[in-house]
Amino acid sequence: MQDELDEDDADPVRMRHRDLERIANAALRVGRALMECGASVSVTRLGVTMTARGLGAGIIGVRVGYASIGLTVSAEQTTITRMISVGGLGVNHRLDMAVRALAARVAEKGGTVASVNGDLDRLIRETPRHPIWLVALATGVACAAFGRLLGVDGQAFAAVLLGGTVGQDLRRRLAARGVNPFVIAALVAFVAGSIGGWGARLLGSASVDMATIAASLLLVPGVPATNAQTDIMEGYPTVGSARAVAVGMMMIFAATGIWCAQGLLRAGA
Amino acid sequence: MIDLAAQARIVLHQAFFGGLAAAGFGVLFNFGPRSLALCAGAGAFALAVRTLGLDANWTLEAATFVAALATASVAMIGLRGIGAAAQAIALAGCIPMVPGAFLNEALLGFFTISASEAVNAEAAILPSLQAMLRFIFTLGAIGAGLAIPSHLARHRGF
Repeated sequence: MQDELDEDDADPVRMRHRDLERIANAALRVGRALMECGASVSVTRLGVTMTARGLGAGIIGVRVGYASIGLTVSAEQTTITRMISVGGLGVNHRLDMAVRALAARVAEKGGTVASVNGDLDRLIRETPRHPIWLVALATGVACAAFGRLLGVDGQAFAAVLLGGTVGQDLRRRLAARGVNPFVIAALVAFVAGSIGGWGARLLGSASVDMATIAASLLLVPGVPATNAQTDIMEGYPTVGSARAVAVGMMMIFAATGIWCAQGLLRAGA
Repeated sequence: MIDLAAQARIVLHQAFFGGLAAAGFGVLFNFGPRSLALCAGAGAFALAVRTLGLDANWTLEAATFVAALATASVAMIGLRGIGAAAQAIALAGCIPMVPGAFLNEALLGFFTISASEAVNAEAAILPSLQAMLRFIFTLGAIGAGLAIPSHLARHRGF
Protein backbone atom coordinates (compact mmCIF):
# COMPACT_ATOMS: atom_id res chain seq x y z
CA MET A 1 0.00 0.00 0.00
CA GLN A 2 2.77 2.45 0.99
CA ASP A 3 4.66 1.52 -2.17
CA GLU A 4 1.56 2.35 -4.19
CA LEU A 5 1.29 5.79 -2.54
CA ASP A 6 4.97 6.52 -3.11
CA GLU A 7 4.50 5.55 -6.74
CA ASP A 8 1.53 7.98 -7.00
CA ASP A 9 3.59 10.82 -5.53
CA ALA A 10 6.33 10.22 -8.06
CA ASP A 11 3.87 10.20 -11.00
CA PRO A 12 4.30 13.63 -12.67
CA VAL A 13 0.78 13.55 -14.19
CA ARG A 14 -0.81 12.96 -10.76
CA MET A 15 1.33 15.67 -9.22
CA ARG A 16 0.30 18.11 -11.93
CA HIS A 17 -3.34 17.16 -11.33
CA ARG A 18 -3.00 17.88 -7.63
CA ASP A 19 -1.36 21.26 -8.26
CA LEU A 20 -4.02 22.17 -10.79
CA GLU A 21 -6.77 21.15 -8.38
CA ARG A 22 -5.34 23.41 -5.68
CA ILE A 23 -5.04 26.30 -8.13
CA ALA A 24 -8.61 25.76 -9.41
CA ASN A 25 -10.02 25.62 -5.89
CA ALA A 26 -8.21 28.82 -4.85
CA ALA A 27 -9.42 30.68 -7.96
CA LEU A 28 -12.96 29.41 -7.41
CA ARG A 29 -12.90 30.64 -3.81
CA VAL A 30 -11.98 34.11 -5.10
CA GLY A 31 -14.89 33.90 -7.58
CA ARG A 32 -17.33 32.80 -4.89
CA ALA A 33 -16.31 35.70 -2.61
CA LEU A 34 -16.83 38.15 -5.49
CA MET A 35 -20.28 36.76 -6.39
CA GLU A 36 -21.40 36.77 -2.76
CA CYS A 37 -20.29 40.41 -2.41
CA GLY A 38 -22.48 41.52 -5.32
CA ALA A 39 -20.08 41.47 -8.30
CA SER A 40 -21.40 40.94 -11.82
CA VAL A 41 -20.65 37.79 -13.82
CA SER A 42 -17.97 39.48 -15.95
CA VAL A 43 -16.12 40.73 -12.85
CA THR A 44 -16.38 37.29 -11.23
CA ARG A 45 -15.06 35.57 -14.38
CA LEU A 46 -12.20 38.04 -14.55
CA GLY A 47 -11.35 37.52 -10.88
CA VAL A 48 -11.28 33.72 -11.30
CA THR A 49 -9.24 33.93 -14.52
CA MET A 50 -6.71 36.41 -13.14
CA THR A 51 -6.16 34.33 -9.99
CA ALA A 52 -5.75 31.03 -11.85
CA ARG A 53 -3.38 32.55 -14.42
CA GLY A 54 -1.41 34.34 -11.70
CA LEU A 55 -0.94 30.99 -9.97
CA GLY A 56 0.44 29.51 -13.17
CA ALA A 57 -2.47 27.64 -14.76
CA GLY A 58 -3.88 28.01 -18.24
CA ILE A 59 -7.60 28.64 -18.59
CA ILE A 60 -9.81 26.42 -20.72
CA GLY A 61 -13.14 27.76 -19.50
CA VAL A 62 -15.07 29.46 -16.68
CA ARG A 63 -18.80 28.97 -16.16
CA VAL A 64 -20.51 31.29 -13.69
CA GLY A 65 -24.01 30.23 -12.62
CA TYR A 66 -26.42 31.72 -10.11
CA ALA A 67 -25.57 29.15 -7.44
CA SER A 68 -22.22 27.71 -8.55
CA ILE A 69 -19.03 28.46 -10.48
CA GLY A 70 -17.16 25.92 -12.64
CA LEU A 71 -13.57 26.23 -13.81
CA THR A 72 -11.41 24.15 -16.15
CA VAL A 73 -7.67 24.81 -15.91
CA SER A 74 -4.76 23.29 -17.78
CA ALA A 75 -1.01 22.79 -17.68
CA GLU A 76 0.62 21.35 -20.80
CA GLN A 77 -1.55 18.34 -21.73
CA THR A 78 -3.24 18.01 -18.34
CA THR A 79 -6.63 19.56 -17.64
CA ILE A 80 -8.88 19.50 -14.59
CA THR A 81 -12.41 20.77 -13.94
CA ARG A 82 -13.66 21.81 -10.53
CA MET A 83 -16.85 23.45 -9.28
CA ILE A 84 -17.78 25.43 -6.17
CA SER A 85 -21.20 26.35 -4.80
CA VAL A 86 -22.10 29.99 -4.19
CA GLY A 87 -24.07 31.03 -1.11
CA GLY A 88 -26.55 33.86 -0.68
CA LEU A 89 -25.86 36.82 -2.95
CA GLY A 90 -25.56 40.05 -0.97
CA VAL A 91 -23.66 43.32 -1.22
CA ASN A 92 -20.40 43.99 0.64
CA HIS A 93 -18.53 46.79 -1.09
CA ARG A 94 -15.37 46.83 0.99
CA LEU A 95 -14.84 43.08 0.78
CA ASP A 96 -15.65 43.15 -2.95
CA MET A 97 -12.96 45.78 -3.60
CA ALA A 98 -10.43 43.97 -1.38
CA VAL A 99 -10.95 40.65 -3.20
CA ARG A 100 -10.64 42.39 -6.59
CA ALA A 101 -7.35 43.91 -5.38
CA LEU A 102 -6.15 40.46 -4.30
CA ALA A 103 -6.94 38.97 -7.73
CA ALA A 104 -5.22 41.88 -9.47
CA ARG A 105 -2.14 41.47 -7.25
CA VAL A 106 -1.92 37.72 -7.94
CA ALA A 107 -2.31 38.34 -11.69
CA GLU A 108 0.49 40.91 -11.65
CA LYS A 109 2.97 39.46 -9.20
CA GLY A 110 2.01 35.79 -8.96
CA GLY A 111 1.88 33.93 -5.67
CA THR A 112 1.24 30.55 -4.13
CA VAL A 113 -2.02 28.74 -3.50
CA ALA A 114 -1.37 28.90 0.24
CA SER A 115 -0.79 32.67 0.17
CA VAL A 116 -3.97 33.29 -1.89
CA ASN A 117 -6.08 31.12 0.42
CA GLY A 118 -4.52 32.75 3.50
CA ASP A 119 -5.05 36.28 2.15
CA LEU A 120 -8.66 35.50 1.19
CA ASP A 121 -9.39 34.02 4.64
CA ARG A 122 -7.88 37.09 6.26
CA LEU A 123 -9.92 39.47 4.09
CA ILE A 124 -13.17 37.63 4.84
CA ARG A 125 -12.34 37.63 8.55
CA GLU A 126 -10.89 41.13 8.94
CA THR A 127 -12.54 43.42 6.37
CA PRO A 128 -14.32 45.99 8.55
CA ARG A 129 -18.11 46.12 8.80
CA HIS A 130 -20.24 48.86 10.29
CA PRO A 131 -21.74 48.17 13.75
CA ILE A 132 -25.10 46.33 13.62
CA TRP A 133 -26.97 49.22 15.29
CA LEU A 134 -25.57 51.70 12.75
CA VAL A 135 -26.60 49.52 9.78
CA ALA A 136 -30.14 49.24 11.16
CA LEU A 137 -30.40 52.97 11.87
CA ALA A 138 -28.91 53.94 8.49
CA THR A 139 -31.37 51.64 6.74
CA GLY A 140 -34.23 53.29 8.62
CA VAL A 141 -32.92 56.73 7.62
CA ALA A 142 -32.64 55.57 3.98
CA CYS A 143 -36.27 54.33 4.03
CA ALA A 144 -37.46 57.61 5.58
CA ALA A 145 -35.51 59.65 3.00
CA PHE A 146 -36.91 57.42 0.23
CA GLY A 147 -40.35 58.11 1.67
CA ARG A 148 -39.80 61.87 1.45
CA LEU A 149 -38.77 61.45 -2.20
CA LEU A 150 -42.08 59.64 -2.75
CA GLY A 151 -44.08 62.43 -1.11
CA VAL A 152 -44.53 61.05 2.42
CA ASP A 153 -45.29 64.00 4.73
CA GLY A 154 -43.20 65.17 7.69
CA GLN A 155 -45.41 63.47 10.31
CA ALA A 156 -44.79 60.03 8.79
CA PHE A 157 -40.98 60.51 8.60
CA ALA A 158 -40.30 59.25 12.14
CA ALA A 159 -42.67 56.29 11.73
CA VAL A 160 -40.99 55.19 8.49
CA LEU A 161 -37.56 55.62 10.11
CA LEU A 162 -38.59 53.39 13.02
CA GLY A 163 -40.20 50.82 10.72
CA GLY A 164 -37.13 50.64 8.48
CA THR A 165 -34.77 50.33 11.48
CA VAL A 166 -36.77 47.55 13.13
CA GLY A 167 -37.21 45.85 9.74
CA GLN A 168 -33.47 45.76 9.06
CA ASP A 169 -32.73 44.40 12.55
CA LEU A 170 -35.39 41.71 12.09
CA ARG A 171 -33.98 40.80 8.66
CA ARG A 172 -30.49 40.37 10.15
CA ARG A 173 -31.76 38.23 13.03
CA LEU A 174 -33.82 35.97 10.76
CA ALA A 175 -30.99 35.64 8.23
CA ALA A 176 -28.63 34.62 11.07
CA ARG A 177 -31.09 31.82 11.92
CA GLY A 178 -30.97 30.58 8.31
CA VAL A 179 -34.60 31.47 7.47
CA ASN A 180 -35.41 31.46 3.74
CA PRO A 181 -34.78 34.95 2.26
CA PHE A 182 -38.21 35.13 0.61
CA VAL A 183 -39.97 34.29 3.86
CA ILE A 184 -37.81 36.94 5.54
CA ALA A 185 -38.99 39.47 2.92
CA ALA A 186 -42.67 38.78 3.68
CA LEU A 187 -42.17 38.94 7.47
CA VAL A 188 -40.00 42.07 7.37
CA ALA A 189 -42.40 43.84 4.99
CA PHE A 190 -45.29 43.05 7.33
CA VAL A 191 -43.52 44.24 10.49
CA ALA A 192 -41.82 47.31 8.95
CA GLY A 193 -44.95 48.24 6.99
CA SER A 194 -47.17 47.88 10.07
CA ILE A 195 -44.89 50.08 12.18
CA GLY A 196 -44.68 52.65 9.38
CA GLY A 197 -48.44 52.63 8.75
CA TRP A 198 -49.67 52.58 12.37
CA GLY A 199 -47.03 55.10 13.40
CA ALA A 200 -47.99 57.44 10.58
CA ARG A 201 -51.66 57.18 11.55
CA LEU A 202 -50.94 57.86 15.23
CA LEU A 203 -48.86 60.90 14.28
CA GLY A 204 -51.71 62.29 12.18
CA SER A 205 -50.07 61.78 8.78
CA ALA A 206 -52.07 62.10 5.56
CA SER A 207 -49.87 59.54 3.75
CA VAL A 208 -50.45 56.36 5.76
CA ASP A 209 -50.50 54.01 2.76
CA MET A 210 -47.28 55.42 1.32
CA ALA A 211 -45.65 55.26 4.77
CA THR A 212 -46.47 51.53 4.88
CA ILE A 213 -44.72 51.03 1.53
CA ALA A 214 -41.78 53.36 2.30
CA ALA A 215 -40.95 51.54 5.56
CA SER A 216 -40.48 48.31 3.63
CA LEU A 217 -38.38 49.76 0.79
CA LEU A 218 -35.26 48.29 2.42
CA LEU A 219 -36.36 45.06 0.73
CA VAL A 220 -36.18 46.41 -2.83
CA PRO A 221 -33.19 44.55 -4.29
CA GLY A 222 -31.75 47.48 -6.25
CA VAL A 223 -28.24 46.08 -6.74
CA PRO A 224 -29.38 42.59 -7.89
CA ALA A 225 -31.86 44.27 -10.25
CA THR A 226 -29.17 46.38 -11.92
CA ASN A 227 -26.75 43.41 -11.85
CA ALA A 228 -29.38 41.37 -13.73
CA GLN A 229 -29.37 43.97 -16.47
CA THR A 230 -25.58 44.24 -16.51
CA ASP A 231 -25.21 40.45 -16.84
CA ILE A 232 -27.69 40.26 -19.71
CA MET A 233 -26.04 43.23 -21.47
CA GLU A 234 -22.61 41.63 -21.11
CA GLY A 235 -23.69 38.34 -22.63
CA TYR A 236 -24.70 36.26 -19.61
CA PRO A 237 -28.49 36.01 -19.94
CA THR A 238 -28.80 32.86 -17.83
CA VAL A 239 -27.51 34.42 -14.61
CA GLY A 240 -29.15 37.73 -15.52
CA SER A 241 -32.54 36.02 -15.90
CA ALA A 242 -32.06 34.10 -12.66
CA ARG A 243 -31.29 37.33 -10.82
CA ALA A 244 -34.37 39.01 -12.37
CA VAL A 245 -36.61 36.10 -11.31
CA ALA A 246 -35.17 36.27 -7.77
CA VAL A 247 -35.85 40.04 -7.70
CA GLY A 248 -39.44 39.46 -8.85
CA MET A 249 -40.01 36.72 -6.26
CA MET A 250 -38.53 38.89 -3.52
CA MET A 251 -40.92 41.71 -4.40
CA ILE A 252 -43.95 39.38 -4.56
CA PHE A 253 -43.19 38.18 -1.02
CA ALA A 254 -42.56 41.76 0.16
CA ALA A 255 -45.83 42.90 -1.43
CA THR A 256 -47.63 40.07 0.38
CA GLY A 257 -46.31 41.36 3.70
CA ILE A 258 -47.33 44.94 2.83
CA TRP A 259 -50.77 43.73 1.71
CA CYS A 260 -51.29 42.05 5.10
CA ALA A 261 -50.09 45.18 6.94
CA GLN A 262 -52.42 47.41 4.92
CA GLY A 263 -55.31 44.98 5.49
CA LEU A 264 -54.82 45.17 9.26
CA LEU A 265 -54.57 48.96 9.07
CA ARG A 266 -57.86 49.17 7.18
CA ALA A 267 -59.53 46.74 9.58
CA GLY A 268 -58.39 48.87 12.50
CA ALA A 269 -59.59 52.13 10.97
CA MET B 1 -38.38 84.81 -9.70
CA ILE B 2 -40.79 83.17 -7.27
CA ASP B 3 -41.00 80.17 -9.57
CA LEU B 4 -37.23 79.90 -9.69
CA ALA B 5 -36.99 80.02 -5.89
CA ALA B 6 -39.68 77.38 -5.53
CA GLN B 7 -38.00 75.22 -8.16
CA ALA B 8 -34.64 75.57 -6.43
CA ARG B 9 -36.25 74.55 -3.14
CA ILE B 10 -37.72 71.43 -4.73
CA VAL B 11 -34.38 70.51 -6.32
CA LEU B 12 -32.58 71.02 -3.00
CA HIS B 13 -35.22 68.96 -1.17
CA GLN B 14 -34.89 66.07 -3.61
CA ALA B 15 -31.08 66.31 -3.66
CA PHE B 16 -30.88 66.33 0.14
CA PHE B 17 -33.10 63.29 0.62
CA GLY B 18 -31.52 61.54 -2.38
CA GLY B 19 -28.11 61.99 -0.77
CA LEU B 20 -29.42 60.81 2.59
CA ALA B 21 -31.00 57.68 1.06
CA ALA B 22 -27.83 56.87 -0.92
CA ALA B 23 -25.64 57.24 2.18
CA GLY B 24 -28.06 55.10 4.24
CA PHE B 25 -28.00 52.31 1.69
CA GLY B 26 -24.23 52.82 1.43
CA VAL B 27 -23.91 51.82 5.10
CA LEU B 28 -26.05 48.73 4.39
CA PHE B 29 -23.76 47.88 1.45
CA ASN B 30 -20.68 48.31 3.69
CA PHE B 31 -19.05 51.26 1.94
CA GLY B 32 -16.16 52.81 3.90
CA PRO B 33 -16.51 56.24 5.58
CA ARG B 34 -14.90 58.20 2.68
CA SER B 35 -16.93 56.32 0.08
CA LEU B 36 -20.12 57.04 2.06
CA ALA B 37 -19.59 60.77 1.57
CA LEU B 38 -19.13 60.14 -2.15
CA CYS B 39 -22.32 58.00 -2.21
CA ALA B 40 -24.23 60.87 -0.61
CA GLY B 41 -22.81 63.27 -3.20
CA ALA B 42 -23.70 60.91 -6.05
CA GLY B 43 -27.24 60.44 -4.71
CA ALA B 44 -27.75 64.20 -4.34
CA PHE B 45 -26.40 64.82 -7.84
CA ALA B 46 -28.57 62.08 -9.41
CA LEU B 47 -31.76 63.32 -7.76
CA ALA B 48 -30.98 66.95 -8.65
CA VAL B 49 -30.51 66.06 -12.32
CA ARG B 50 -33.66 63.92 -12.34
CA THR B 51 -35.72 66.67 -10.68
CA LEU B 52 -34.49 69.25 -13.20
CA GLY B 53 -35.43 66.84 -16.00
CA LEU B 54 -38.91 66.33 -14.54
CA ASP B 55 -39.26 70.12 -14.20
CA ALA B 56 -38.48 70.37 -17.91
CA ASN B 57 -41.48 68.06 -18.51
CA TRP B 58 -39.41 65.00 -19.43
CA THR B 59 -40.95 61.64 -18.61
CA LEU B 60 -39.77 59.93 -15.40
CA GLU B 61 -37.96 57.32 -17.50
CA ALA B 62 -36.11 59.91 -19.60
CA ALA B 63 -35.17 62.02 -16.58
CA THR B 64 -33.96 58.92 -14.72
CA PHE B 65 -31.89 57.77 -17.70
CA VAL B 66 -30.16 61.15 -18.05
CA ALA B 67 -29.59 61.32 -14.27
CA ALA B 68 -28.02 57.83 -14.18
CA LEU B 69 -25.91 58.57 -17.28
CA ALA B 70 -24.70 61.88 -15.83
CA THR B 71 -23.93 60.34 -12.42
CA ALA B 72 -21.98 57.44 -13.92
CA SER B 73 -20.08 59.76 -16.30
CA VAL B 74 -19.14 62.23 -13.55
CA ALA B 75 -18.11 59.37 -11.23
CA MET B 76 -15.96 57.72 -13.92
CA ILE B 77 -14.22 60.98 -14.86
CA GLY B 78 -14.04 62.63 -11.44
CA LEU B 79 -13.17 59.49 -9.46
CA ARG B 80 -10.84 57.89 -12.02
CA GLY B 81 -8.19 57.45 -9.33
CA ILE B 82 -10.24 54.98 -7.28
CA GLY B 83 -10.85 52.55 -10.18
CA ALA B 84 -13.76 50.16 -10.01
CA ALA B 85 -15.08 51.73 -6.82
CA ALA B 86 -16.26 54.70 -8.91
CA GLN B 87 -18.82 52.47 -10.64
CA ALA B 88 -20.06 51.17 -7.28
CA ILE B 89 -20.43 54.73 -5.97
CA ALA B 90 -22.43 55.73 -9.07
CA LEU B 91 -24.66 52.69 -8.54
CA ALA B 92 -25.22 53.57 -4.88
CA GLY B 93 -26.07 57.12 -5.95
CA CYS B 94 -28.73 55.79 -8.33
CA ILE B 95 -30.34 53.44 -5.78
CA PRO B 96 -32.72 56.20 -4.51
CA MET B 97 -34.12 56.34 -8.06
CA VAL B 98 -35.02 52.61 -8.08
CA PRO B 99 -38.81 52.72 -8.35
CA GLY B 100 -39.59 50.08 -5.74
CA ALA B 101 -42.79 51.88 -4.73
CA PHE B 102 -44.14 51.49 -8.28
CA LEU B 103 -43.54 47.75 -8.17
CA ASN B 104 -45.28 47.50 -4.81
CA GLU B 105 -48.21 49.53 -6.11
CA ALA B 106 -48.45 47.31 -9.18
CA LEU B 107 -48.34 44.07 -7.20
CA LEU B 108 -50.83 45.30 -4.59
CA GLY B 109 -53.14 46.36 -7.45
CA PHE B 110 -52.82 42.94 -9.08
CA PHE B 111 -53.65 41.28 -5.73
CA THR B 112 -56.85 43.36 -5.62
CA ILE B 113 -57.81 42.57 -9.21
CA SER B 114 -57.28 38.83 -8.78
CA ALA B 115 -59.63 38.64 -5.76
CA SER B 116 -62.72 36.58 -6.58
CA GLU B 117 -65.08 39.40 -5.57
CA ALA B 118 -63.03 42.17 -7.20
CA VAL B 119 -64.96 45.41 -7.54
CA ASN B 120 -64.12 47.73 -10.46
CA ALA B 121 -61.43 45.37 -11.70
CA GLU B 122 -61.40 47.05 -15.12
CA ALA B 123 -60.70 50.44 -13.53
CA ALA B 124 -58.02 49.04 -11.21
CA ILE B 125 -56.06 47.18 -13.87
CA LEU B 126 -54.85 50.27 -15.76
CA PRO B 127 -53.05 51.98 -12.81
CA SER B 128 -51.49 48.64 -11.84
CA LEU B 129 -50.24 47.96 -15.36
CA GLN B 130 -49.02 51.54 -15.62
CA ALA B 131 -47.09 51.21 -12.34
CA MET B 132 -45.55 47.90 -13.49
CA LEU B 133 -44.47 49.38 -16.84
CA ARG B 134 -43.03 52.44 -15.12
CA PHE B 135 -41.06 50.17 -12.79
CA ILE B 136 -39.66 48.13 -15.69
CA PHE B 137 -38.77 51.10 -17.89
CA THR B 138 -37.33 53.22 -15.07
CA LEU B 139 -35.20 50.34 -13.84
CA GLY B 140 -34.08 49.78 -17.43
CA ALA B 141 -33.20 53.48 -17.68
CA ILE B 142 -31.01 53.27 -14.56
CA GLY B 143 -29.23 50.14 -15.79
CA ALA B 144 -28.60 51.60 -19.25
CA GLY B 145 -27.47 54.97 -17.89
CA LEU B 146 -25.00 53.29 -15.53
CA ALA B 147 -23.68 50.81 -18.09
CA ILE B 148 -23.01 53.08 -21.07
CA PRO B 149 -20.11 55.15 -19.62
CA SER B 150 -18.29 52.11 -18.22
CA HIS B 151 -18.57 50.25 -21.53
CA LEU B 152 -17.40 53.26 -23.53
CA ALA B 153 -14.44 53.61 -21.17
CA ARG B 154 -13.75 49.85 -21.53
CA HIS B 155 -13.35 49.63 -17.76
CA ARG B 156 -12.53 46.05 -16.82
CA GLY B 157 -13.88 46.29 -13.30
CA PHE B 158 -10.55 45.89 -11.52
